[in-house]
Amino acid sequence: MEEKTAVLFDIGRFRSTDGPGIRTILFFKGCPLRCQWCSNPFGLAGAPQLAVNPAKCTGCGKCVPVCPEKANSLVPGEKITVDFAACETCGKCVPACPGGARTISGQTYTPYELYREAAKDAAFYRKGGGGVTLSGGEALVQWEAAAETLRLCRSNYINTCLETSAFAPWEHLWAVAQFCNTVFVDLKHMDSQRHEEGTGVPNEQILENIQQLCRELPKRGGKVILRLPLIPGYNDGEADVLATARFAAGLEGHPEINLLPYHDLGRSKYEMIGQDYPMPELENRKNRDPYLLSLQVLCRQAAPENRVSIGGDAIALD
Amino acid sequence: MTTPTAGAALGNELRAGTVAKVGSTKRIQELNGMLHSNRPNVDITRARAYTKVYRETEGMPSLMRRYKASAEVYRTLSDNVYDYEQLVGWPTKRIRGANFAIELHAHWLAEDLPNLRDRTYDPFEITDEDYKELEEDLLPYWKDKTMAVQWGHYVSKEEWNRGQFGGVSDVSNYLCANGSHFIPAWTDVIQHGFVKYYEKAKDLLAALDPNDPASIDKRIFYTGIIEVLEAIRDWGERLSAACARKAAEEKDPVRKKELEDMAAMMKRVPWGPATSFHDACETAWAVCFFLFVEGAGPSITWGRFDQYMYPYYKADIEKGILTPEKAMELIEELYVRVTSNVWFQSTQMAYIFGGYYRYPHLDVGGLDENGKDASNELSYLCLRAMRYAKTTSPAVSLMLHQKTPDSLLYEACELAAEGMGHPSFFNCEGLYSMLEHRAGGLDGYSNYTRKDILKYGSPIGCVEPGAEGLQYGHTDSGIINVAGAALMAVTNGVMPVESDNMFAGKLLTFESGDPASFQTFDEFYAAVKAQIKYAIDEAHANLLICEKLLAEQFNLPTFTVLLEGALEKAKDATAGGAKVNVGPTMNMCGFGTMVDSVAAIKKVVYEDKAATLSEVRDACMNNFKGYEDLRTKLQAAPKYGNDDDFADEIAADLWKWFADCTMVLKMYRGHYCDAAVQMVQSNVGYGAMTGATPNGRLAGMPLSDTMSATQQADTHGPTAAARSYGKLDFPAYTNGTLLNMWISQSELMEKA
Repeated sequence: MEEKTAVLFDIGRFRSTDGPGIRTILFFKGCPLRCQWCSNPFGLAGAPQLAVNPAKCTGCGKCVPVCPEKANSLVPGEKITVDFAACETCGKCVPACPGGARTISGQTYTPYELYREAAKDAAFYRKGGGGVTLSGGEALVQWEAAAETLRLCRSNYINTCLETSAFAPWEHLWAVAQFCNTVFVDLKHMDSQRHEEGTGVPNEQILENIQQLCRELPKRGGKVILRLPLIPGYNDGEADVLATARFAAGLEGHPEINLLPYHDLGRSKYEMIGQDYPMPELENRKNRDPYLLSLQVLCRQAAPENRVSIGGDAIALD
Repeated sequence: MTTPTAGAALGNELRAGTVAKVGSTKRIQELNGMLHSNRPNVDITRARAYTKVYRETEGMPSLMRRYKASAEVYRTLSDNVYDYEQLVGWPTKRIRGANFAIELHAHWLAEDLPNLRDRTYDPFEITDEDYKELEEDLLPYWKDKTMAVQWGHYVSKEEWNRGQFGGVSDVSNYLCANGSHFIPAWTDVIQHGFVKYYEKAKDLLAALDPNDPASIDKRIFYTGIIEVLEAIRDWGERLSAACARKAAEEKDPVRKKELEDMAAMMKRVPWGPATSFHDACETAWAVCFFLFVEGAGPSITWGRFDQYMYPYYKADIEKGILTPEKAMELIEELYVRVTSNVWFQSTQMAYIFGGYYRYPHLDVGGLDENGKDASNELSYLCLRAMRYAKTTSPAVSLMLHQKTPDSLLYEACELAAEGMGHPSFFNCEGLYSMLEHRAGGLDGYSNYTRKDILKYGSPIGCVEPGAEGLQYGHTDSGIINVAGAALMAVTNGVMPVESDNMFAGKLLTFESGDPASFQTFDEFYAAVKAQIKYAIDEAHANLLICEKLLAEQFNLPTFTVLLEGALEKAKDATAGGAKVNVGPTMNMCGFGTMVDSVAAIKKVVYEDKAATLSEVRDACMNNFKGYEDLRTKLQAAPKYGNDDDFADEIAADLWKWFADCTMVLKMYRGHYCDAAVQMVQSNVGYGAMTGATPNGRLAGMPLSDTMSATQQADTHGPTAAARSYGKLDFPAYTNGTLLNMWISQSELMEKA
């Protein structure tokens, strides 16, 4: 049988989010959702693509002649303009750029290679309970390679986490999740129609998956954490949050709830792949934002047996 | 006058001492303010004493003159007592003074004196009176007699220039900074006082047999030691009287009592045994600055402070005469006082080691003599004290091992998060392994016993392994700019014209072969190794001469009495009085730049065949002007510090090569040379002297620092970098290794 490979757009080492301790985060490429606030736009498309960092472009023009598609054009004295639609991702312009402004986002790995990558930092995981986290994009799009990666990691005593939208057939989700110490599930909206407005897909499958995951995962020694990215004006109203909290309260095992403050750190990345940031200008929120603190109180009242924390790092305190 | 910027405004406030008023108590805040309101200044007390004695003793034996001069310094040290202080004695008339060694510095100072007040790096204030005395009386006497001048009598002018200004095989630091890197026998001197050595010297002198030829020099030795120790005793009496005078004038009854206690204390210590934690702190302070004044170099080190001070701390707590807060206040005062010792360096050296910093060390943690965790309450207090005092000195260090309690590690991390560069973390396993082989030659062993290492072993200076009362040697010295050496393999020994170097466009090392003649990477690699070895051998030859000069003429009586067994041997520290003699050593500078240069050539020239070695040579010669494309390719090659074996294998191999070339060399006092990576900031100075390097670095830019990856070349995060560093054989560098890593403050903070 041919081994499944995975396309990743980044491997982040020495990260301290999305799981306990020091972590290596594998960012899988490709996502079925189109959340407007997405902070990792490189993870949206499944295929490798060209990314150009305008901050590093000096406008030297060396990429212009090497492009077979004539996708790069230069007005003297300005930075390069890229016609991303014309780009065929041949990669010829990448080594031609003296400033290192160009990369092909998306590289292929076998699960064993990914495990080896994660195992490099095994010595640093030990003290703080660190390990590997699959993130993205949506790792479940490439569920076979993702599952094999986590199986290898888990069987070699590396702590495993999955950060997912849970928008996938249950079999795919379970194939990956069964090897996880912790699964972080993003839950954007309880109202399916509103969910579709914000993310492009309805939420029925997600809700069913969460319920089933909360039943099944603890039997394998894992736990589920619900994450609510609170987008101002979309899902951060008291009624929205209350509905989610009530849903969480009814789940088996009473999973922890993370309230994630909105940030626009992904904004500059859209420009690098020739896209526009879909969100309007909104203020970034801090963990200590008074409104978030009031939502935390609200959640605690509605879901008294679930731990409710602000930000994605609380698990580090376990 | 230009408008001061925000940074300058802060600098002015710091100078006024107001913003520097930090510390756990009002007393420390005031002392800290006093420290910072003084600018580094020159004190000529020592210079005057040496000149006086040397003029009076023409024709006497060299050792006798040195010892008499040291004694004269103690007799003329200032007896200032300031408000708020609880410890007594200062090395200079003004705080932050440099009681500099004129017998090492006169040759350059005679030329550079007019620039001293406003040179770019490390300017010094000096009074008009002292300036005049230096210029007209003191410097003319010494300027043709310094060690560096005398070294010139043994080598050609060309060799002298290469060693001073070539910037590849550099020994210029050595003869300007001797009498350094020392952990005196703290446990012994605090417990018994100097009186013990005084009585011992008298006994040994009385026991000499004048019919034994060996007694001739010994008699001069013991007579000299006795004179120095008497001067130390008299210094204590003088300071006691000064405290008593101040007490008599004092109106405030609380302060009056403090001053009376200080007067009584100065009658006890450092001459006699310490009877309390306060006494022990006074001895720790006095001995530290005595040595800083007698020697000219950096790093008189407190060593395992939490170990030898603990019996006094514990006893005083049990007696109820000390609280942890009170102990911490005394420790903070030690920190403030030791920061007042500024390093006086030549203009050339200030450019490389600038910042006045004199590298004292204070170590906590580690193991005890039975191999158990040695930490105690003082370990925590020493770390905590630095969070309050916030001084640059001493380098507070945690000796870390598998048994270090988490709580102590967290306390250290809290201090690290303050972002001041404290504490240093030392790996005990590495340190102990280095001590086992210190100065023992290739695959050899040192004279240290296991107990010596466990009980007394601790870091000194930047990162060098040392042991309390057992080891002497100026550890930094031969500086080998390996990035420059690798460049010489490409340029056939010539420093590129495009460089700010006395040898720009000239042969600086030796001709290791025309680059066009290297058909394979292995041929080129052999040339790199040959250039490194050449630089090491040249430095070694120069250092042998320096060692001989020092042993004959730069004797250090106070160092000598604080070395276990030196009195019995009747041998000065500089002549081999220590149980373990070390140094001078070979310090590697620009390691990351060298590795990246060799890796870039391997990749671009010999694997991708995208350029010839001659083209790389031309590119370096022209500082990459007209070779921008080649520079891009060289920069894109694998870089050390990313857990990439392509570069890391070269790193591990050249790392070992440097150590092997060094450890086979025998030094003047009979031991072997040690290798080191420890120069903290010299990468900037040597970078300025070095032409463009094949990793794409432009001429004059800093080299990579310590053993770290080249700046911004480690792009895969700290864990990947740590794995690269982990591939090197650290203990092969028996004079210590140093790694700088920058980690975001948020990684060390509790998450809210």
